[in-house]
Amino acid sequence: MTGLIQNEWMKVFRRPGTYVMIGLLLIMTTVAGAFIKYQESGGTVPDNAEWKRGLQTQNESYKKQLEEMGETVPRDMKEQYQREIALNEYRILHDISPNEEYSVWGFVSDTSQLIEFAGLFTIIIAGGIVASEFSWGTIKLLLIRPLKRVKILGAKYITVILFGLMLLAVLFGYSALLGGLLFGFPEKAVPYLYYYNGTVEEQSMGFHLIAYYGLKSINMLMLATMAFMISAVFRNSSLAIGLSLFLMFMGGQVTRLIAMKYDWAKYSLFANTDLLQYFEGVPMVQGMTLGFSIIMIAVYFLLFQALAFYVFNKRDVSA
Amino acid sequence: MDTLVEIQDVTKVINGRTIIDSVSFEVKKGEVFGFLGPNGAGKTTTIRMLVGLISITSGDIKVLGSSISTDFEKAVSQIGAIVENPEMYKFLTGYQNLIHYARMSKGVTKEKIDETVELVGLVDRIHDKVRTYSLGMRQRLGLAQCLLHDPQILILDEPTNGLDPAGIREIRDHLRMLARERGMAVIVSSHLLSEMEMMCDRIGIIQNGKLIDVQHISDFVQGKEKVYEAEVDDPAKAQRLLKNKYPELPVQITENRMLLPLVRDSIPEMIKDFVQADIKIFAVREVTKTLEDRFLEVTEYKGGAEHDRTDSK
Repeated sequence: MTGLIQNEWMKVFRRPGTYVMIGLLLIMTTVAGAFIKYQESGGTVPDNAEWKRGLQTQNESYKKQLEEMGETVPRDMKEQYQREIALNEYRILHDISPNEEYSVWGFVSDTSQLIEFAGLFTIIIAGGIVASEFSWGTIKLLLIRPLKRVKILGAKYITVILFGLMLLAVLFGYSALLGGLLFGFPEKAVPYLYYYNGTVEEQSMGFHLIAYYGLKSINMLMLATMAFMISAVFRNSSLAIGLSLFLMFMGGQVTRLIAMKYDWAKYSLFANTDLLQYFEGVPMVQGMTLGFSIIMIAVYFLLFQALAFYVFNKRDVSA
Repeated sequence: MDTLVEIQDVTKVINGRTIIDSVSFEVKKGEVFGFLGPNGAGKTTTIRMLVGLISITSGDIKVLGSSISTDFEKAVSQIGAIVENPEMYKFLTGYQNLIHYARMSKGVTKEKIDETVELVGLVDRIHDKVRTYSLGMRQRLGLAQCLLHDPQILILDEPTNGLDPAGIREIRDHLRMLARERGMAVIVSSHLLSEMEMMCDRIGIIQNGKLIDVQHISDFVQGKEKVYEAEVDDPAKAQRLLKNKYPELPVQITENRMLLPLVRDSIPEMIKDFVQADIKIFAVREVTKTLEDRFLEVTEYKGGAEHDRTDSK
C-alpha cells in the first residue's frame, strides 16, 4: 500500500501544475500579509481603557432590541445576540479586553479564508486522479498488476487526502511564520472565547486555530471526496472538477436559500459541512445539532465512497 | 509441452450484443500465438478479458491453473501485457515509469529494472522524459514494463502498430527470443498478416467474435505441397498434357499462365514433359501461399454470411 501511495504521490508531484498550486497559495498568503501590514501601519490600537463600559452599553442595546421586537425577532438574530451578550458578559467578568493587538494569531485566523483555495486545488487533484488515468490510457497498464482494484483506488483516495492535508499544513505553517515575522507574537497569551450550548469557555489560541482549521477543512475534504467519486464513476475530470467547484461556491448559498423555506434543507450536504456554525454562529436550520451534522457527513462520505469503489471495481476498462 | 493459458468457452455480451462468442483455445510454453482478425472482430476484447480489464460473461480463462476472474491477483502476476498502445506517464522519465510499475509487483529489485532496461536497449535514454521518446522507444519501454516481474506469459495487443520496419523487426526478434530462450508463452494480436507469419508459431483467426480457425503457421508456409506458376505459350496444350499424367490435379489457367499445386520433386519431371511436347516455357516459379490468402479464404468462406454485422470497437 505504501508503494502505491508513493506512486500516486510521485505522479502528483512530477507535474508542474502541482507546484503552481502551492506557489499560488504562498503568494496569496504573502499578498494578504503585505496588505494587512500596510493597513495596520496606518492606524493604532484604539484606546482601550473604557472597553468595559463600551461592552456594557453594547449589551444593553442588544437586550433592548430583543425586548422591543419580542416575538417577531428572527431566530438566528436572537441566537446571535444572545451569543454576543454572553461573550461580552464573560469578558467583563474575567477582565479580558476585546482590544487585543493584531498578532500572528489574528493573521493565521484571517488567512484561514484561503482554505477555500486549498480546497479548490485539492478538488482539482481529486477530480483528475482517476479520470486522468483513463484519458492518458495508462489505466490499462495500471489495472493489470497483481493488486485488487480496491487497493489501487484506496491508494488514490489516501493520496488526495494527504495532498489536501499537506496544503493545509503549508498554509497554516507559512501564515504562522509570515504572521510571526510581520506582526510578532503577543506578549501574553490571550485565550480564545467560544460559546457553545449557552456557556462561554476559554481555549488556548493555538489549539483554537488548529481546531478552526480542522473544522473549516471538512467542507473541502467532503467536496474533494465528491470530486474523487465523480472522477471514478464518470471518468471525466472536467465534470468532476467543474461540478465540485460549482457546488463549493454555490452549494452553501443555495442550501441557505432553501433552508429559509423548507426544513429538509438540513439533509443537504452543505447544510452540515460547516461545523463552525455550532460554535461561532447559528445552525442553518433550527433543531440541527452537532451530532446530526456529523452523522450526515458520515452518511454522505460513505455514499460517495461506496459509489466510487463499486463502480470502479465493476467497470469494464475498454477506453 | 505444458499449457500456460487456457481460454475455455469464453463469451462476452455487452448491452445484449454478443461481442465474443464461445472462444476457446490454449497457449503453450515457448510458443508465440498470433491472434488474427479484421478490425473490430474482437481481438482487443479477448485480450482485455485475458488480462482482467473487462469481465467475462460466461466461460473462464485460466492462467497456470488460476482463474482470471476468481483468482485475479495470482493469475495476473504471471502476465505481462501491453494493451493497445504502450501508454506511459509522459511527464515521468522512462525509469520512473518502471519504478512505478515495479512497486506494484512483488519482489522487483533495482537490479532487475536495470537488467530489463538493458535487455530492451534503452540504457541511453532511460532517464529522459517519456514525452521525448519516439514510438519505437515507447514500445520498448512498454516491453520492459511487461518483463519486470518475470512473467511466464506475455500478451501484446498490436505490438507493431505504427512502428517502422526496423522497429517491427526489433520487436519480432525480442518476442522470438523470449519464447525460445525463456520459454515464455507469447500472445500477440494483429491485423497485419505478413507480420504474424514471421512472428508466430500458431495463429487463431477471429471474426465477428468467433474463433474460426486455429492453425500452425508451418502448415501453410512449410507444407509439402505448394502452388507453382508456369508461364507457357500454349496453356491449353500444357493442361492436356498434365491431365494425362495427373488426372486429379486441379489446374487453373489464366491467359498464358497456369497455376498448379505440385510437390517440389515433380517439377523437373513436368518441365521435361513440356519440353518434349515442344511447349515453350518462359518461367516456372513458386507461388508461396501466404497467410493472407489463407486468411481471406477462411474469413470469406466462414464469415461471409454475417457480413453486415457492425464492428464492436
